[in-house]
Amino acid sequence: MKRLKALFDRQRPHFAAGGRFEKLHPLFQAMEDFFFFPSAPTRADSHIRDSLDLKRFMSFVIFALLPPVLFGIYNTGLQARLSAGLDASFWPAVVRGMGIVMPLVIVSYAVGLSWEILFAAVRRHPISEGFLVTGLLFPMTLPPTIPLWQAAVGISFGVVIGKEIFGGTGRNLLNPALTGRAFLFFAYPANMSGDAVWTVMQGAGQTAVDGFTAATPLVVAGGAGPGEGVAAVLQTAGYSFGRLSVGTYPGSIGATSALLCLLGALILTGVGIASYRIIAGGILGALATGFLLNLFAGQSVNAWLGLNPFYHLVMGGFAFGMAYMATDPVSAPGMDAGRWIYGFLIGVLTVLIRVFNPAYPEGIMLAILFMNLFSPLIDVITIRLRLKKRVPNV
Amino acid sequence: MPTISVRKGFQLRLKGRPPQRLNKAPPPAEVAVLPERLPFVKPKLVVKQGDAVRIGSVVFEDKRNRSLKFASPGGGRVKQIVYGPRRSVKAVVIALDADEKAESFHRFTPAEIDAVDRPDLVRAIVDGGLWGLFRELPFRDIPHMDAVPPAIIVHLDGKEPFQPPPSMYLEGRRHWFDYGLKVLKRLGPVVHVSAAADNDFVRREMKQYVTHWVEGPYPSQDPGVLLFHIRRAVHENHSWYIRGQDVLLLAELLKEGRYPTETVVALGGGMPAPVLIQSRLGAPFSGLVDPPPDPTQVRLIGGGAFRGIADDGVPYLGFYDRSVVALPLPRGGELFGFARAGADKPSMSGAFLSRWRSTPFAVDCDRHGDLRSCVNCGYCSRVCPVDILPQFTYKSVLAQEVEEALAHGLLDCVECGVCTFVCPSKIDLCLALKKAKTAYYKEVYDLKPRPA
Repeated sequence: MKRLKALFDRQRPHFAAGGRFEKLHPLFQAMEDFFFFPSAPTRADSHIRDSLDLKRFMSFVIFALLPPVLFGIYNTGLQARLSAGLDASFWPAVVRGMGIVMPLVIVSYAVGLSWEILFAAVRRHPISEGFLVTGLLFPMTLPPTIPLWQAAVGISFGVVIGKEIFGGTGRNLLNPALTGRAFLFFAYPANMSGDAVWTVMQGAGQTAVDGFTAATPLVVAGGAGPGEGVAAVLQTAGYSFGRLSVGTYPGSIGATSALLCLLGALILTGVGIASYRIIAGGILGALATGFLLNLFAGQSVNAWLGLNPFYHLVMGGFAFGMAYMATDPVSAPGMDAGRWIYGFLIGVLTVLIRVFNPAYPEGIMLAILFMNLFSPLIDVITIRLRLKKRVPNV
Repeated sequence: MPTISVRKGFQLRLKGRPPQRLNKAPPPAEVAVLPERLPFVKPKLVVKQGDAVRIGSVVFEDKRNRSLKFASPGGGRVKQIVYGPRRSVKAVVIALDADEKAESFHRFTPAEIDAVDRPDLVRAIVDGGLWGLFRELPFRDIPHMDAVPPAIIVHLDGKEPFQPPPSMYLEGRRHWFDYGLKVLKRLGPVVHVSAAADNDFVRREMKQYVTHWVEGPYPSQDPGVLLFHIRRAVHENHSWYIRGQDVLLLAELLKEGRYPTETVVALGGGMPAPVLIQSRLGAPFSGLVDPPPDPTQVRLIGGGAFRGIADDGVPYLGFYDRSVVALPLPRGGELFGFARAGADKPSMSGAFLSRWRSTPFAVDCDRHGDLRSCVNCGYCSRVCPVDILPQFTYKSVLAQEVEEALAHGLLDCVECGVCTFVCPSKIDLCLALKKAKTAYYKEVYDLKPRPA
């Protein structure tokens, strides 16, 4: 450890004012702070400070994100093997999955960090830890067949347009990972939607063996005709509620397992880092809308209306979006009452988009982005209502 | 009477709480008067180096209002006047004689207190140099002598580490407290006396004085917090407050006709021996804390751990300081510090093992992280005792949206420092809000309290 400290001390003059790499000082500081926790005396008000800092805050999010990530690596490999007719053994699936997922994660971090370093160097501020979470979230929302260059373009868009042009971490209006994903969705729709993209197929023919369903549950459900129950259609395709919860089906890399996302949500709310109000609000919103729509099931040809609302929670990226994307504190409202409303409306919108819009099988991404735009308005309204009760002091 | 429940705030159990026993400090060789620790006061010295002073003789006046006087707590000779940047007066150090001479003031009997005109009573306190014991909300400036307050709030105790409790500071002085309250009622006429609901000593022995019981974590005992919870009308915002302990000083001046020289001071935190002592006003830290700690290792704070003042080059007890807290200075980066389990790291969040610990924590004055931009986590709003939504008020202040900041309740801020304590981005929230308050005070009140 002393040698490590000596190494940093030796290199510091190069990055200090007047040194050769003066502009890259934020990078040096980020590396040093990773090993040696930043320590500085406080001024007054107050002299003592809480032990929690942003590094640990973001590290907890990454820690809570690891279960879906690790499962995603396994699942991606598993689906790839199954589609080629191979067996479902564990370690070969993991190795296959790592071969698909790790390049995407590495590209996401490398490209994103390059942008972060550039902006930090030009603006002369430290590299903020927010990107460490974005860099891992973004690949988790992508289909495993996405070309690496598209992932690079997507994360660039997300970081630059989604965050940096607004002023960096803490000032973004939209969730940067979702902004990147939305960009890819609209710019390269063939690579981001459809039946073929959700499983990495083997061989030149790029088709699966018989018996393997390459379509995601949402697409399968969308194919239910009038009079058919969506749940029954899913069951026929092999997607029981249990399987949907566990997540062993083709889909985005990290977003398939609702159970592990629930675990992550519990970890984050347990340590007080994510707001439980957003997550609870989202679940309530989705369930409430689902039940409301059930009331109209008999009067329409839309098979979605009759779906048991709990299926909405486990299908698609809803669980992942609510646990990790919607809870991003910067793009969410800052008021507790506002967070309930925000979460609730995300749930409502997700179900509405899924049920009524034939163009988008998945609604959570657009619902979160849409509500991000409304966060400031929700805050203004809830604050104004609250301030009305205050005795003025002017 | 109903108990006021303050749900927001943060109580940190710090190691180094002084045992509940009163010791006597060794007599110091010198004392000092510190004008910089008085809010908004511009000192005009009436003594120079080498002058003889007595206990209670005037040392400096306030340039804003020359009637406002501040007196010497010791008798002897002015040893040194410490100047700061631009000839600001930081300290007037007085070397004490073996045989100190004292000014004598008129002694008011309790009957005289009832009979005297209010302006005469005010003038007696002003001439005695103790008018500064009163502070006026919301700016915490010393009130104008002609003003009549909507209320005077007396807070008997405080939960900031570490404050002398009533059981100790009242020892041997109960009769003065009674007299002091009488004086306050003449000045008021409305007087609120607040105490912590869990203070057994007050419940047993001082129940008859208390008008408001307050329960809750630090800073529930702060008069600004009490006012926030009990006010009904706008004019109440300009209430005054005085510390319960200082009522005794006032009583000593008016009843005994002499300027008070001693009070109880709590020495706590990372001291070798935390203790409650009977100390001279204005005593140097070096006499109180023995052996004196190494200033490169330990910071000595005049005042509490949250709000105290340190490192201003004059290590003496200020006019309002009733405690000295020692905190170790930071010792440099911990290897992978952000990933440690942290059973010894106190936090408001639940992100450390410390959340399951009930024993007191040893803390230092480390920032524990680097400055980052606000991420809207909402921790500050969770702990603000006066509900001013610090993150939004801070952003309004930065955007120079004055009306919006005021509507949020900027002036209600009690400057407790808890929002700064919990902020994970290590933003100096309290400092920013205080600066905004001062700028507003300058703009609208010209940094002077109004007569009415």
